[in-house]
Amino acid sequence: MSAEMSTETSTVEEFRAEVRAWLEAHVPAEPLPSWTERAGFDLHRAWERTLFEGGYAAVDWPAAYGGRDAGLRRSIAFAEEYYRAGAPERINMGGLYLLGPVLMQYGTPEQCERWIPDLLACRTIWCQGFSEPESGSDLASLRTRAERDGDHYVVNGQKIWTSMGGFADWIFALVRTDPEVGRRRKHHGITFLCIDLRSPGVEVRPLAMVDGTRGFAEVFFTDVRVPVENVVGEVDQGWRVAMSTLGFERGAVFGDHAKFTADVEALAALVRVRGLEDDTRALDELGRVLVETEVYRANVYRLAGIAEAGGDLDSTASINKVFWTQMQHDIFATGLRLMEEDGAVVGDPAAVPYADAATRRSWADWHHRYWYARAAMIFGGTNEIQRNIISERVLGLPMEPRP
Amino acid sequence: MTTTHPTTDERQELVRLTADLLGRHCGPEQLRERLDAGTAHTPELWGRLAETGLVSALVAEERGGAGLDPSYLSGVLVSLGEHAVPEPFLETAVVATSVLAAFPDSALAVSWLERIGAGDALVAVRLGALTPYVVHAGDADLVLDLAEDGTVRALLPADVDVTPVQALDPLRPLATVIRRGEDAGTVLGVAPAAVERARVLAVAGAACLLAGASRRLLDLTVEYVGVRRQFDRPVGSFQAVKHAIADLAVMVDMATSAALSAFDAVDEPDARRRAWAAKAYAGDAADRANVSALQLHGGIGFTWEYHLHLWLKRVMGLAASYGTTVTLRRELAVELLARTGEATER
Repeated sequence: MSAEMSTETSTVEEFRAEVRAWLEAHVPAEPLPSWTERAGFDLHRAWERTLFEGGYAAVDWPAAYGGRDAGLRRSIAFAEEYYRAGAPERINMGGLYLLGPVLMQYGTPEQCERWIPDLLACRTIWCQGFSEPESGSDLASLRTRAERDGDHYVVNGQKIWTSMGGFADWIFALVRTDPEVGRRRKHHGITFLCIDLRSPGVEVRPLAMVDGTRGFAEVFFTDVRVPVENVVGEVDQGWRVAMSTLGFERGAVFGDHAKFTADVEALAALVRVRGLEDDTRALDELGRVLVETEVYRANVYRLAGIAEAGGDLDSTASINKVFWTQMQHDIFATGLRLMEEDGAVVGDPAAVPYADAATRRSWADWHHRYWYARAAMIFGGTNEIQRNIISERVLGLPMEPRP
Repeated sequence: MTTTHPTTDERQELVRLTADLLGRHCGPEQLRERLDAGTAHTPELWGRLAETGLVSALVAEERGGAGLDPSYLSGVLVSLGEHAVPEPFLETAVVATSVLAAFPDSALAVSWLERIGAGDALVAVRLGALTPYVVHAGDADLVLDLAEDGTVRALLPADVDVTPVQALDPLRPLATVIRRGEDAGTVLGVAPAAVERARVLAVAGAACLLAGASRRLLDLTVEYVGVRRQFDRPVGSFQAVKHAIADLAVMVDMATSAALSAFDAVDEPDARRRAWAAKAYAGDAADRANVSALQLHGGIGFTWEYHLHLWLKRVMGLAASYGTTVTLRRELAVELLARTGEATER
């Protein structure tokens, strides 16, 4: 994004010290309740506002939109300090990690000015509308239609598995604008369209998830009128924008490694509180996930170096996705194993209060993140699809015969 | 001694130079000749490595070297691993040069540095629990014995009993080394920091070699499944085969990142953690490379005639040297518990 363009005059270490001091003064003393319930969500949103007002919502983004133009290295330092300080989980992931970068690549200046400051301040929460009931891995088979009517599109169809759907204000969606060309070449005739979820004809039905939370939803569109200026990129050329979005979803979120490092430190606390410091099995489990997070950190630094040198990270995204999603699953599954019989206790905080204290978060949250880790191996293109991409496009193995 | 890191272009140039040299002088046929002759090291190849300046790269300029930072050699080590180079390059050109430079007032240390720089000495390194067997001890003109407490001893062949063991990888010969009496050899000094740095260089360097050797197993397998046909298709077009290879590619790629980054970070405060993690993970990646490569080659991979076994054995030997995955990650876990425990008490 803005790897080399930095107007910051501080050194990375000076910037780090500034961030650390600010976080010490502002991070809530007690962990916030889970954002999967409305009360916790509102508190997270308020925290995002504080972060934005401090100028820290996305330090490597342009100052004009509320960022700091701080460059990649300072952005990594920020994330390392953020997670070290135990600051709250970021909630506007679809906006921060996907739409924002996509707008800066494909959006018009007007679109950037219209949407980016609001998403940075968390005034608007964004969700991603790609998957449909019949279109998962075969994303290009999507059927949600958008027909041109004057200076509007009229959208009909359905999206599903929409993360944050129940909390979001806007959705960025893939819609079919040319079904005729799509019948012959299905990656053509698709358009990337931003839709206000408060528009008449939109219905969001939260789906209860496997852990009882309402993190994702179905979204139905019935004759929803969307202004044509909400198209990102070119009409009918949305597949390219979608692939770029998925590239951001699969590739390295620079600085994210610090979150996993903090998780492994929480695991160490669990090992201590359960008196397993001399248990070789526990040491092996802890050591394995620690190694994975260190390897991931090293890879983030390497990719940052490539990005700073103006290199292309496209071929690394699928490898990165398979690795970090497996690592994330390993971390949370290891936590459940190390908790032994208490790993099966979720809903009764009184039963495992030591786990809350040790991890500085609620034990229920650990379970939530375990299920999220399971989902991550599916979303953004399943890990099976990533293995196809790695073998065929990165390694050049022969294509599978296509039906 | 400079601490400047190489630019991307310089790195690529060094790797290209190394790969070019090894492609001509250390191909599978040359490895086989050595296997048949029952010898790993040859003066010819070592001489070529020395001529190109790789052996003396880290030796100070006033001792006849280039005085470069170790990070210039991380990519070179990966390349040496890819070619299964049967020479004590890591031990001599990296670890020994680093340790000897810590004793600028020792005439003995200086003279060995100059011999290494001239391409005129092979050095083996004993690093306590990390080297129950000492690699290339039988070929070495000098064994450096680095004790846990930081004591560094220079041992000449006359000071030690070197007993070769039959190594799984004959091109990476192993021996036990026993000093002939308490007073054998010369104590160069006590330098705990230099010895710790040597440990990190050895472990991170071994991770680089291992990542490179695993990469070769991956490449050989990709090549083979692209030409081997069954059911009228290349077997590499079957998804079961592809996915096994993709999983291997993920591990090899990440192992390479971690190894390069750990080796380049040898002078950072968290150097030990990064080196230990890199070698631990490279060991896992090597295991996967070993298993998948042989599985996907089928019968041909078991034959002596086919080259695969050169790399199968190399990764097994390297994985078992300079700390195994199990011991390294256990040490990391203990260190993490100590580090985070202190933070909680504070």
